[in-house]
Parts: sequence; structure tokens; C-alpha cells
Amino acid sequence: MKKTKKAIALSLTAAIGLSAAGAVMAGAADPVTLSVVTSYGGDDGNRRNFEQAVQEYEDKTGNTVEDGSATSDEEWKAKVLTDYETGSEPDVLFFFSNADADPIIDAGKVVSIEEIRETYPDYATNMKEAMLAAASDGKHYAVPSSGFWENLFVNKTVLEDCGVDMPGTNYTWDQFLEDCQTIKDAGYTPIACSLFEVPHYWFEFCVMNNGSLDSQLTLPAVEADGSLDEAGQKWAAALNDMKELYDRGFFPENTTTATDAETVQLFGDGDAAFLIDGSWKVGYFTENYPDNLEDYAVAYVPAKGDRKATDAIGGISMGYFISRKAYDDPARQKAAVDFVEYLTSDDVLSRFVTTEVTALVNGAKPADLNSLQQSAAEANANLTGIVGAVQDTISSEAKGDLFGNVVAVVTGSMTAEDAVKSAIRINGNPGAADEGATG
Amino acid sequence: MKKRVRPSVIFIYIVLIFWGLTTVYPFIWVLLNSFRKKGLILSDSFSIPAGKAFTLENYALAGERADFKNAYLNSFIISGSVTIGVMLLAGLAAYGMARYRFRGRNLLYSLTMAGMMIPVFSTIIPVFRLEVMMRIAGTGNRWLSLLATILPQVAGNLCFAMVILMNFIRSVPIELEESAFMDGASVFQIFFRIIIPTAKSSFATVAIFSFLWSYNDLFTQSFFLRYPRDRAITGLLNEISSQAGVNYGLMAAAVVLVVIPVLVVYMFLQKNIMRGLTAGAVKG
Amino acid sequence: MQPTSTIYKKKAPLLVFLIPAFAFLGVYLFYPFIQNVINTFLNIGGLGRSADGANTPFYMNYAELLRDPKLRTALKNTLLLTLCTVVFQVGIALVLALLVDSIHRGARIFRTIYFFPIVISATALGLMFNLIFLYKGGMVNQMLFSLGKLHTETRASGRMVVDWIDWKDKDHFMTTMFLPVIWQYVGFYFVILMTGLSNISEDVFESASLDGAGGWQKVRYITLPLLRNTLCTCLVLAVTGALKVFDLPWVMFGAGMPEDRGWLTGTYMYDQTFNKANIDYGSTIAVLIVVLGVVLSNVSKALFRQTDDY
Repeated sequence: MKKTKKAIALSLTAAIGLSAAGAVMAGAADPVTLSVVTSYGGDDGNRRNFEQAVQEYEDKTGNTVEDGSATSDEEWKAKVLTDYETGSEPDVLFFFSNADADPIIDAGKVVSIEEIRETYPDYATNMKEAMLAAASDGKHYAVPSSGFWENLFVNKTVLEDCGVDMPGTNYTWDQFLEDCQTIKDAGYTPIACSLFEVPHYWFEFCVMNNGSLDSQLTLPAVEADGSLDEAGQKWAAALNDMKELYDRGFFPENTTTATDAETVQLFGDGDAAFLIDGSWKVGYFTENYPDNLEDYAVAYVPAKGDRKATDAIGGISMGYFISRKAYDDPARQKAAVDFVEYLTSDDVLSRFVTTEVTALVNGAKPADLNSLQQSAAEANANLTGIVGAVQDTISSEAKGDLFGNVVAVVTGSMTAEDAVKSAIRINGNPGAADEGATG
Repeated sequence: MKKRVRPSVIFIYIVLIFWGLTTVYPFIWVLLNSFRKKGLILSDSFSIPAGKAFTLENYALAGERADFKNAYLNSFIISGSVTIGVMLLAGLAAYGMARYRFRGRNLLYSLTMAGMMIPVFSTIIPVFRLEVMMRIAGTGNRWLSLLATILPQVAGNLCFAMVILMNFIRSVPIELEESAFMDGASVFQIFFRIIIPTAKSSFATVAIFSFLWSYNDLFTQSFFLRYPRDRAITGLLNEISSQAGVNYGLMAAAVVLVVIPVLVVYMFLQKNIMRGLTAGAVKG
Repeated sequence: MQPTSTIYKKKAPLLVFLIPAFAFLGVYLFYPFIQNVINTFLNIGGLGRSADGANTPFYMNYAELLRDPKLRTALKNTLLLTLCTVVFQVGIALVLALLVDSIHRGARIFRTIYFFPIVISATALGLMFNLIFLYKGGMVNQMLFSLGKLHTETRASGRMVVDWIDWKDKDHFMTTMFLPVIWQYVGFYFVILMTGLSNISEDVFESASLDGAGGWQKVRYITLPLLRNTLCTCLVLAVTGALKVFDLPWVMFGAGMPEDRGWLTGTYMYDQTFNKANIDYGSTIAVLIVVLGVVLSNVSKALFRQTDDY
């Protein structure tokens, strides 16, 4: 799951200014202009890495890349899909390889890896076959890029100031609640989180805390008598755990109105102790808080029930697609294939990766880790299990509904059960988020 | 008439200056903070950034992240074309509507009024599909992308412009036109030689508002201008601010860079804005 | 109504005048909007997707309008905003116009700076107001803090805790949302009213002065009645303008903040369409906005009995 960032109001597109100049290599084929859309826009932690890799590709091939990268959010997804439907799609797309890509795969708008290998046998052979996302037709379309993990970031300085121990591999929920109270009493914010914008990190771990790693991806349902099934009750219990954190004042005072950027800043500036976020935040802190890096560390999300604190969320959810339109154009075919091959080469991916999962056969070889990256690598080494986010398996409408209702649940204007039921109904009935559409 | 110096005059000035401060001070605050070192805005945003607190870093960063020159150019092409298109189309239609009596006139008037209410987000998807079908949008060609933005913006500003111009033309005494007609002028000559010069200030208003609204309209731009080369200035502001996160200094600098050209245009043309707006909106 | 002049008896040139503009409106405004009305009866699950058949029952979305509590909130807020706009926007503008009219120096400067916020984009203004109302370290909170108006407490750890005011929470959001919207357009009505005032002949005032009328009496019995038509124009513009307010609240508040209490019809429609991918319901809200706009503008016209020959 990629960070869903609302960024700014009308933000629909965003891209990066790139100098389009590329030295034309002698003997190269006629240079072409390749349009590329990715989610490496906005404040994505890998934006600079991506821009640099594109520049290198341009220098190497003499081709020009028209980069329409943006910040990934629901609007962006909708717009990308609209582009494909109206025939104004980019040549290469970096997109979610889960159910989100079904519309373009079903419509035959993108080319499968199998087909590309008929002409370019080496295409994506540096990836583990088992880790390629399979579409409903059994073929593979996306060449995976770097994956992600989600885990607990802690501000060591705040913990020291409050006399709280650094969370270990057996960090329990009860200990966590106690620590939060201590931190709160000392005048700090225990948890940096905007329940308005990004409640999904806490939701995912709270779900696992009420179930287990193995049952994480079980989707909830409503029983015949109108009650929630086991997975549904697990989701409701997760929301209620979040409500408890809210009721006890462990989230920032303005968590129901703050932006993600504001609450992350609380953590970055040393006003808040804990933050659940994704691997991309390592790059973010490295870029935005270079002077405070020593303050941060990656630890383990407190556990209860069957979950171990060392069980985390992660996986590979995005990859590069080549559009049919570009592939069938003899002038652009090779340019597009070269682009994807270069961007997913061992060498380039290793730069995108510090501690994330990859599908590379040889593994990534990140170099020169800073203290935060080192801490993340150590935490990763201790992980006992990793599982994909269950929210990525439900429709974006259902997801939007569920997370839109989190504030209502924690403030008490809606019950956790009703919020889960509403999401289940919408998930089972895409496109009709209307009351009473189908039972 | 006896003239007495009212003691309340000072009070009046205090009230007026107070409101003036509310409109001007926030911009001054943003301007000051665009020159302030990162991190200081949240602790001390009121002082004048001098000495150690002063920095041009925010502007340097804004310039590094985005191609302002190109974006200004795109903005002026788009907004300039929108302005000309709106003036021409709205002028002709307003003249016809104001002077002719014909069946369906009330219907057309109601349509124009209703057109002012239609929110742009309810039309954008059909328009996008239409333009893709017409091979204007989504071609990857810069000039076509600009055109694809211009056309819906013209339509979006047309109704307001027609209402303003209609109101004005109706208030022009018809005698002028009649005497010209006696001298053998055709209606088209009357339109260009009498109506346009007489309604100059209203046309100026329409022009300025069309320009500003087009310049400030992020929503339409964001649909048709996807690639950095095509991007106009408001899109750039959005892009920078979404990258800025909590870098408030960078955000302030971006706001300043976007507002300055508007400010310059406003300072030069404000007389026309006032005159034309009021001539159109105030009847009789 | 003016009688039709002989010039305009021949209708042929009319086509040249009307066809370009209305053809344009047809293609870019009315056709898409009709498409939008059709969409309200279909089941559309994504911006990029075509309809999966009709809704059952076909009026489902309209029934939903009546049931949806968030829409009710949005309508309530929008109508309240409309009321506030009429009262405060036009009210403040009227007071300022009367005051400026009564002074002899500086009128032009005031006019220039009062109008100024109108030319700035909502995106820029939204960012600016976000900085002003920021929770920790925003302009307003900093000001209150330095004036000692905020509650502070020093904990045992020696750390000082400040009770910043969350200007977007449920106790404050109305002010934070309405203030910028009202503030931005005061200058617009101010300028219109100023012109209306300058059209009132000086002679009227002079004869009134001779009759011994004081300042307030002149305003009450001469200025306001003579300004009536101008005021009507302002009120109608204010009502229709308030219904369309979207971008400033959206930049500042996003989706329904706080706690689903902050919706406006515009922001709710946008959220349903672009974030919840509930295209058909979003289209239905758009229809509601247009209908509401037409009805309210006609009602306000009738209420203020504007002399109008249409």
C-alpha cells in the first residue's frame, strides 16, 4: 500500500520539472519522446532518486522522458484510469499492481510480461517470478519496483526525556498504554497521527492485534442475522482500540483536523513520541530533518493477542506497466522496454531501496546507510512475519468510506460496528455507496 | 450650507484603516515570512526578517523545483486567449440579447442565468471525454493541451460576461444607434463603432475578470495540463505546496511568486475594473 | 421595457450575434450538464468507467438526497453561509461605502486595497489562511500566545504545554470557514455600492441639509432608499455567489472537517465525485446545486423586488 496523501485540495496532477536535455549517443536509434506517469511526485521520498534515474536513462539513450508524475491518491488513480479509457494514456505507467489495475488489464490496454519476453527474452528476468503480481487471466503485467514496510517510528529523545524505555521486540499493548500515559503527563504528544487524513496505519496494526498475521487478509462479512462475522468483529475491535487511544488523549489535540504533514512534524520536531508510518518516511526524514536523524529509530508496533510485536505490514504493491499503444508503436517499443528495464535494474532499484522488500533475485545492495536507515534495517532483520495490508484488498470506495468514518467512530457519533458494516456493504456493491442500495 | 467639522471623522478613519489592514496585512505577513529562515516562522512570524533570520533560500528552492518562466508563459497564453474569446463571443451575444425582441429570448436569458450556476466539476468529465474524442485533449501536444484548457474556460466565463454586458448595453440610450442607422450604418457597424466604444469600460471589466478567473482556475488546468512543460502558474503553486509539506517558508514564497503578476496587473488596471464593474452591475 | 427600434426589426443578423456564443455554451456547458443529469439515473462506479446500467429504482439517488445526513449538514451550512454572506458581506460593504463616501481624503486608496483580495486565487488564499489559522505556530495562535491569552501549564518534567486553539475544531470551524469567504468579497460589493452612492445627486443632500436633516437621517431617509436598486443587485449576487463557494473551504478544510460537520454542498459534491468515486450521486448533488441556485436567485429577486425588465 502506498501512502494515500490528500496533499492539497484540488491537487489532481503534480509532476516534476525536469530538464529535457539528454545527450544523444552516437549510433543510437532515432531519439523518441516517452511519456511516463508515476507516483514519484509530490513529497514522495524517492522523488529525487526517480528523477536522477530518469536523467540517466535520458543521457544513456538520447530519448526524452515526458514525466507526468504525481502524488498518489484516489484522484490520481481515477485520473490515470480515465486516461486509459479515453485513449490518452502514457507510454509507461507506474501503478498499483493489485485490483486497482484490473480495468486497464481487462481492457487490454497494457502488455503482459510474457508477451514482451517473446521479443525481449531478458525482460524482468532479474525479478523473482513468484513475486510478480498475477492478474486474473494468470498473466503478469507489472514489473515490481521497491516494496514497502510499515512499522513504529520512535523519537528517542522524547522517550529519554520522559524516562520511557525504547520499545523492544516483545513490546506489549499494555506497556504501550502505560508509556503513552507517562509521555502525556510529561507534556508531550504520545502518538503523532492525523486521524482525519491517515488513520489507516493504526487501523491495519490494530486489526492484526485483534487477530493474527495469518488471518490478516480475511475480509469481513455480515451474517444472515445482521451481525458481523469474526473478521468483522476484529475490525470493529480495531476501531475501538483506536477510540480508546483517542479517548485517553494519546493522539494530538487536533488529530481530527490536522494534516498528515502537521502531525509528522510533531514527531520530527520532537514534540511527539510515536509514529506508525511506512518505509518511505525513512527517505522523508533523511531529506527533511537531516540534523535530527539521530533522534529517530524504528522499533516495533506494540502487540496483543496472537500477534507478535515483530509482525509487520509490508509487501510490493506497485510496478511498471507498458501500455499497448506504446508497445505496438515500433518507434517507441524499444524505448519503453529500455526504460522499464533501466528503472528496475539491480543497480537503480538498490538506490530506491534502503530497507524495503524487493523482488530482485540477487537482492538489493543499498550502500552507506545513515543512522535511521541502519535502525530500520535492524528492525527489519528482527521481523518474524510480514503481510500485505488488508485495506488494499477492498475497493477504493469502501476504503474511502471506512477511513472517512474513523473520526466519527472515535468521537462517538458512530459505532465501530456500523462503520465496518457500511464498508462491507460498499465493498460488495461497487459504485453504489448509497444507503439501502442492496440490503 | 453650513459646514461643520464632525468629531467623528477620526473614528471613521480608524474603522476604514482597520478594514484596510485586514486586507493588506495578511499579504505582508506572507511576504515577510517568505524571506524568513526555515523553522523560525512558527516561533516568530511577526518581526521583520533581518540579519540571521533573512534568507532567499525559499525562493531559490521554489525556482529549483519549478520552471516559473515557462509556467508564466503558459498562463498568459491561456488567460489571454480566454479573455479575447470571452469578450468577442459575449459581446456579440449580449448585444443581440439586449437589443432584439424575439421568441425564445426569455428562454435564452434563463439559460444564461442557469449557466452561471453550473459548477465546473459537474461538466468536466464529459468535456474531457469530448475533447479527447475531438483529438484536442490528451494528445501530448503542448499547444493542443493549452487549447483544451482554453475552450472550457471560455464557456465557464461566458455567462457572467454576457450578463454584465447585457445590463450595460440595455442602459445605453438607443438614440445613438438610431442616428447611426439613419446615416446608413449596418447593425454590425453599429456594434463595432458604437456599442464597443460606449461599453468600453464594461468590456474592460469582463476582460479583467475573465483573465483573473482563468489565471486562478486550478481545477480545469489540472485536468488538461498534465506534463511539466504544459503547466500554468496556479498548477505550479499547487505542485510546490504539495511538495512543501510543512516547509511554510517555501509555501509563502510560492504564494508570493503567484500573486505578484496579478498584483501588477491589478495596480495598472484597477481603475478600469472599478468603472466597468459598476457600470455593468448598477443599472440606470 | 424599451420599444424595439426599427434598426432591430430585421432579425437575420441576430443569428450571427447569438449562434457563436450559444453554440459554445451548448457544447461546453449545457451538453455536459445534460450528460450529468443523465448520469444521475445510472450506476457509475468510477470516473474512468462507463455506466453499469441504470439504477434501481431509477430515482435512487434523488431518494438518497432526502435521507443523507451529510447532505443535510451541507445544505444547512451552505444556507447559513448564504445568510452570513448577505448580512455581513453586504452589510460591512455598505457601512464601509457610507463611511468612505463621507470622507474627503484617501477614498481612492481605500477602494484599491479593499478590492485587492478578490484578484487573488483561492488556492493562494487558502494556503495563506491555513498559515494564519495553523494550530501550532499559526499567526492567530502566535498572536494570542504573545498577548498571554492562551492557557499554559508547566509539567513536572519542566516542559511547558500550551493549549493552542484548534481553529478547525467543532467549536471554531464556522468562524474559520466563513470569515475568509466573507472577507474576500466585501470589496466587490463595496465598489458596487460606492458607484451607486456617487450616482446620487449632491443636490438631494444639500436640500436635505437645508431642511435640517442630520447625518444619520440623511442616510436613513435619502441614501438607503435611493441605493435600493444597487443593494438589490448586491444581494442577488451575494446569494448566488455563496452557493458556489467551493475552493477556499476545500483548500482549508477538505472532506467535511471537522467530524463531518463542515460540509458545504460544493465540497460534498466534489468529495463524492472525485474521492468516493460515487459519480452518479455526485452528479445528483450538482443538479441540486443548480436547482437551488435558480430558485434562490429568483426568490431573492422577488423578495427584494428588483425592478428588472426580464
